[in-house]
Amino acid sequence: MGDPQPTPPHPPTASPRALTRRSFLRASAVFGGGLAALAAALAPLRHLDDFPTLDQFLQKYYRELTPAEMERILRRIEAEVEREYGVRPQVRDVKPLTGVEYVYAHNLTRCIGCRRCVHACVAENNLSRTPEVQYIRVLRLPHGSLDMEKADHNYAPEWVPEPDHFYMPVQCQQCRNPPCVKVCPVHATWQETDGLTVIDYDWCIGCRYCAAACPYWARHFNFTRPSIPKGQLNPDMAYLGNRPRRQGVMEKCHFCIQRTRVGRYPACLEVCPTGARKFGNILDPESEVSYILKHKRVFIQLKEELGTSPRFYYYFDV
Amino acid sequence: MNPEPRTSQALNALTVAFLALTLAFLLDLWGRPLALTEIPPVDPQFTNTATVRLSIADQIAAGADPSDWDCYICHDRKKPPQLRFDENQNLLIPEEHEDIQLHHGSHNRNNNCFNCHNENNLDLLQTRDGRELKLAESTPLCGSCHGPTYRDWEAGAHGRANGHWHDSFGPRLRQACVACHDPHAPAFPQQKVGPGPYPLRPVDIPTAHPQPPH
Repeated sequence: MGDPQPTPPHPPTASPRALTRRSFLRASAVFGGGLAALAAALAPLRHLDDFPTLDQFLQKYYRELTPAEMERILRRIEAEVEREYGVRPQVRDVKPLTGVEYVYAHNLTRCIGCRRCVHACVAENNLSRTPEVQYIRVLRLPHGSLDMEKADHNYAPEWVPEPDHFYMPVQCQQCRNPPCVKVCPVHATWQETDGLTVIDYDWCIGCRYCAAACPYWARHFNFTRPSIPKGQLNPDMAYLGNRPRRQGVMEKCHFCIQRTRVGRYPACLEVCPTGARKFGNILDPESEVSYILKHKRVFIQLKEELGTSPRFYYYFDV
Repeated sequence: MNPEPRTSQALNALTVAFLALTLAFLLDLWGRPLALTEIPPVDPQFTNTATVRLSIADQIAAGADPSDWDCYICHDRKKPPQLRFDENQNLLIPEEHEDIQLHHGSHNRNNNCFNCHNENNLDLLQTRDGRELKLAESTPLCGSCHGPTYRDWEAGAHGRANGHWHDSFGPRLRQACVACHDPHAPAFPQQKVGPGPYPLRPVDIPTAHPQPPH
């Protein structure tokens, strides 16, 4: 047999796949550059300061909470608000009253467009001041039409009312058939038995589908962290109502749930200098709103052709 | 020499691209947050729930001197005051009462003091059907002419309300006619308008000065 041929020494350019110093450095440069780019892209995360605590993270859906769990959450929210605003609030979970369905009636003849309802609402419901979140939008319309194309909400005369115009505040209409509830992918908003459509701010994922679905422009999104000056916080709070919201959640008018479910009038009604706003229980035949719907010229539910059937009625004095 | 120059070029290009991205992210070339312009706080007058005027009853309750409404400090009980009119039948208001602006009704015919005041007892009001009312209890007087509005007011459909939407929860405060309407010129007065909505994006606020990029 022939003597075995010695294995030839590894040729320096044997295989193109072989790891050379040069190809290693090159691959490292690409890999390192990619990592650096990723790290830089994620750098803004360093400024994130409102990570949820474990309790917040594991909090359950509002409608699955037991009373004991709710109680614990309310106390936790009180502590969180106190830490941030220096005021100890009273946060309650006010349940709907039986035999009550809330209805709003607005007198277009009396409204003068002074926007006091807008600002009373901001103060009552702890809405963000910068940037502004306002539940009520007052439209100014020329006499003789209800053409929303002619509506203006930026009117700024010194004195109101102006001649030849009427005013129409629009807020959440508390529809009987609410499109915002239908589109919510996580059921963070729903209609309660007293007709109020509410939001669990801790369950909202901020997708804004409801804002797109609402034909009344009534849903408002917290694009930034809401800012409320210290000392202007309203400490009378409800879980589904005016407790401070986080960035990235939806909010809207809830007929001042923290007031109306304990029998008080909403803030926008109490501040109205003309008494154009009327509120009450439609199931009570003796209530003011029942009288109005029976006897006054209630001419519309806004955009009634959409079939949303609002609980907010506009009427005229005759 | 690398046997595959195209791979080598691609890797070089990737490295450069990644480093450029790193730089761009670190400098935050996009996504730099807009500086928010502080929106000034709203004047407290726009959240005040007080009525636009104070009725006599409100003023007395707030500590005003009731003798301010004692007509017979100046007037003579035995001598009913005489009204004077100009050639157009417009009432001439004496200078002692020059604070009274009389614009009751757009026709300007309701310009006789004694349509509402009792000329034989100025401390009282008098409805057209002869009922006599105290100055501080004027609501039925208004109702004696403004029937439909009075009916609505009694039902809660006209006028302001504060408190509770049902009596079972607590009191509901109803306001008298003269808490909002000046009986001598009852048209609801014009009001100052509250500030309108600011644009959502701070750069859209006309008075805002967006901070220069740094």
